[in-house]
Amino acid sequence: MAEKPQPFQVLYCGVCGLPAEYCEFGPDFEKCKPWLIQNAPDLYPDLVKEAGSKEADKVSDQLSSTSISDAGSSKPKEEVKRLPGGKIKKKEKPEIIIEKMTRNKRKCITTVKGLELFGVKLNDASKKLGKKFATGASVVKGPTEKEQIDVQGDIFYDIVDFITETWPDVPENAIYFIEDGKKVPAV
Amino acid sequence: MFHRVFSSEEVSAQNQVKASVQRKIRQSIADEYPGLEPVLEDLLPKKSPLIVAKCQNHLNLVLVNNVPLFFNIRDGPYMPTLRLLHQYPNIMKKLQVDRGAIRFVLAGANIMCPGLTSPGGVLDDEVGAETPVAIMAEGKQHALAIGFTKMSAKDIRTINKGIGIDNMHYLNDGLWKMERLD
Ligand SMILES: [Zn+2]
Repeated sequence: MAEKPQPFQVLYCGVCGLPAEYCEFGPDFEKCKPWLIQNAPDLYPDLVKEAGSKEADKVSDQLSSTSISDAGSSKPKEEVKRLPGGKIKKKEKPEIIIEKMTRNKRKCITTVKGLELFGVKLNDASKKLGKKFATGASVVKGPTEKEQIDVQGDIFYDIVDFITETWPDVPENAIYFIEDGKKVPAV
Repeated sequence: MFHRVFSSEEVSAQNQVKASVQRKIRQSIADEYPGLEPVLEDLLPKKSPLIVAKCQNHLNLVLVNNVPLFFNIRDGPYMPTLRLLHQYPNIMKKLQVDRGAIRFVLAGANIMCPGLTSPGGVLDDEVGAETPVAIMAEGKQHALAIGFTKMSAKDIRTINKGIGIDNMHYLNDGLWKMERLD
């Protein structure tokens, strides 16, 4: 009897779900890039190089800015709060979390949490989302008693552009997706 | 084939089929993909019922534990889903399109001969007409589509125009997105 072949494990992209090598032809390569740099650097060596040079730019920016303001302490540090008992609590950075949930069968809901942290009125936002994606959207109390917006349908791939265009105060890098229970930056 | 968003709503009936039919399905899959023989019992365990979901356009899906594994049209040959093929990449004959054709294939287009005969393409001369094949792509390791040849590989080479392979199932189509049918 022939030997039992082991199933081959294809590396599927954590963002778009395609085999990682096809992300460049996928629905939104830009969004896959951060994931690919982390998880599939061999497939896209150019991306890693690109990111590397960006990092280098950042560092040189930082260096030049520190030299102007002379003190090395101007480097932005995360604020820390001491809680009673001496525990250190990181200051919560406002962020927007987008999660897709599958409701019965293939229907799904995209939830958006955290818009209010950027001064966005949720009722207003929910109306805009509903209009933009021609679907139902509503403000509901989330599991942690915080309000969130539920939008019917899978709008995962268009929502980031919509948020940043509609509310320019929201920086792209404050938006995250929950994918398979993991938090990944949307951009 | 699966161009349109493919959802469970389009599945008109989902049935556990008669034991004799299950046997026939297992047998035709075994005949079509001898390379799967050692794992066939794992994939289609005799103790788990085979479910056949009938969909639009005479499409049938074969599911085990809610996971689509094979599909066919009418009484045509069973073809693996891409997710299954990715696990057992050598069970099908392979034809390769050039890099330029990738985005068309991923948009659901049928595969034109020139995309297979150009320097980036690869033809396996043993492939006849009306055969299920894995569609590979220049510079890529994994299949991007499942096709059904309209002409033999030799004809694709000599005729070199028109559609060479019908695109049955491709990455990100409705079937790809349907990892489970609950
Ligand atoms: Zn991707």
